[in-house]
Amino acid sequence: MRNLSSLKKEFLRKWIKGLRKYNSQKKNMNLLERKKAIKLSADLAMASTKDKTTLWRKALFANTSTKIDDEQDMSTTSSTPQKKVIRKNSTNSYPLRKRITGRRKILRRNHTKERVEASFIAMRLVKKRTRKLKSLLPGGKFMDDSCLVDETLDYIESLKAQVEVMRCLVTSSELFINQP
Amino acid sequence: MSDKEKFEVDGNGEPMSYSNGMPPDWRFGGGGHGGNLVNSSLGLVSIGNSMNIDREDLIGSSSCSSASMVDSFSPNFWDHSANSQNLGFCDINGSSSNTIGIRKDGFGFGRGGHDHGTLEVGWNQANSMMMKGDGFLQNVQGVFPQSLSQFPTDSGFIERAARFSCFGGGNFGDVVNSYGIPQSMAMYAGTIHGARDGHAGIGLKVGIGGQSQERDDPKVVEGTKGVSLSVEQLATRGSPLKNDKSESRAVSQDDGRKALVRNVNDSDRGESGDDDVRGDGQEGSPMLEGTTSGEPSIKGLNSKKRKRSGQDPDNDKADGARELQSEGAKDNAENQQKGDQTKDSGKNAKQGSQTSDPPKEEYIHVRARRGQATNSHSLAERVRREKISERMKFLQELVPGCSKVTGKAVMLDEIINYVQSLQRQVEFLSMKLATVNPRLDFNIEGLLAKDILHQRPGPSSALGFPLEMSMNFPPLHPSQPGMIQSVMANMTNPSDILRRTIHPQLTPLTGGFKEPSQMPDVWEDELHNVVHMSFATTAPSTSQDVDGTAAANQMKVEL
Repeated sequence: MRNLSSLKKEFLRKWIKGLRKYNSQKKNMNLLERKKAIKLSADLAMASTKDKTTLWRKALFANTSTKIDDEQDMSTTSSTPQKKVIRKNSTNSYPLRKRITGRRKILRRNHTKERVEASFIAMRLVKKRTRKLKSLLPGGKFMDDSCLVDETLDYIESLKAQVEVMRCLVTSSELFINQP
Repeated sequence: MSDKEKFEVDGNGEPMSYSNGMPPDWRFGGGGHGGNLVNSSLGLVSIGNSMNIDREDLIGSSSCSSASMVDSFSPNFWDHSANSQNLGFCDINGSSSNTIGIRKDGFGFGRGGHDHGTLEVGWNQANSMMMKGDGFLQNVQGVFPQSLSQFPTDSGFIERAARFSCFGGGNFGDVVNSYGIPQSMAMYAGTIHGARDGHAGIGLKVGIGGQSQERDDPKVVEGTKGVSLSVEQLATRGSPLKNDKSESRAVSQDDGRKALVRNVNDSDRGESGDDDVRGDGQEGSPMLEGTTSGEPSIKGLNSKKRKRSGQDPDNDKADGARELQSEGAKDNAENQQKGDQTKDSGKNAKQGSQTSDPPKEEYIHVRARRGQATNSHSLAERVRREKISERMKFLQELVPGCSKVTGKAVMLDEIINYVQSLQRQVEFLSMKLATVNPRLDFNIEGLLAKDILHQRPGPSSALGFPLEMSMNFPPLHPSQPGMIQSVMANMTNPSDILRRTIHPQLTPLTGGFKEPSQMPDVWEDELHNVVHMSFATTAPSTSQDVDGTAAANQMKVEL
């Protein structure tokens, strides 16, 4: 097992930094915004821990950068019409994708010849699950099976560290509040 | 992770660009002769893959062979070859026109390289062998005047290559035997015509790989030894797939050609003429299409080859570096995986060829060819699966509750659930933090101070908290801002340790909360020197986990 405590320390350090930056940027964020900020900075901090060469970290960076852009667009009170257009375009693409995937699913169902052998069933199950895992993992859809397993290992470890640090922070914050 | 390297396959294809026709000598450790063994091992490994066989290697090796010989006795070969048509290889669909075209193309192909020799001789032999056609002699002679840079686009040539890839094919021995004499003759012949040399050399090398009969001839021997040795090594390492693949390749033309290229490359000859490279590439494409014209397909094939050749360097280098270790096989499997995606005939070919496996297994000892399940398509895939299952074992340790589970599907299920639960926890905790902290200012110093100094004993939780975590609390008091982070981390550690020891799932926050508050009381009760001192000072000099844990252990014992 890798050094979990060092991972946590690094994560916490970076997270606090990110949160402070966020705090300086905007005042009076509502709950959801704060939550988003917390989660975003936590994700970024987690992604920047250890070696940054793993796929999921890179994907996480990419995703968060787009999210930050979106957030900035949305948060600015005076959103220019250009930004609105951009936002609309981004949202419009989603239903299209859904439609396409739906059609693909239907097509696949018609085409695939259902084989009853145990091995085929097992293979299908495994494939279904690997697809699900890929969807869970940031940047998972670009990975092949063996890499996927490695990435999930790393990702789970980082998630664990993140969860634990957050939990401690929550408890300490609660303590802080309860005993002002 | 090494796997990452596999992702950048296309990027590596640059040095393999067909347009240059550069000699892929670098692949073989510079020059064909020196690193024969390595080269052959490399080539053989890639044979198995069949995806990553680089035509340039073939060309290079062919061109590397000495430029002598073939010419003088080429006619002899062809006459000989016409007789020895009893090859048990996969059917050659080459029509007469194809054969003629192949002849022409082959010669044009061989022309470009400078060092042609046995390779080309053998290649010619192979050609004639495969072609089942007569009048090669006439065709051959007609071919020579062709331009050097002309690319052979005959599918027959490709088929020949494919056939040659069937290493284990029993008829290979026949071919080699029949060509034994002429081969040796070829070795010592005079100047070689470029085109023919290439072909002969290739065929020769391939034949030699099958049997080690040409030991007399130094060049041939080198190639043979290297090839068979590497093959055996491969086999013993559990890559019988290579052999199977090579056989299956015969059916799957493209793969077969690649295997052939690999075999030839193994034999030696680092240099490769530009024309050879180009020729090979062009020949490959028509093979794919199964047409003689193959012009439009050439480009497609070249692009495919480029991609696969891009994979090749990874394979070759890795294999060469590790000397056919299982890793190499795994790398091949990796590349194989990618190659499999691009082509689909491999599986069918393999299944078809499995039934017609030649009885002789002199070089590749397949571990369980017939005993394998019908659904496991290739050995490379099996290697890949083993690799994956090996990684899954690590995951089993990481994911709680997975150790008792056997089987990929269930374990994947558990992993998915665990990842989902972790992600949900992150969401929940971030929401909670947002509610708890209205200003997003996490005052660590204040938090820690409150934590340590003002902890009230909450309702005693029935958890048997290990005291080691308590030890970290005294050092947690922040004395300097620089220590805040480490202190915070230390603070988190005890709770984490606690949670980890109790159960991995989400412990109630209240439970976690109570835990820290209980510790100070315990310490004061215990009057442990270290604990008391650290607690009282509220300004720990160091907050080393080591110290903390050591003291904690003592505390544990006492309690």
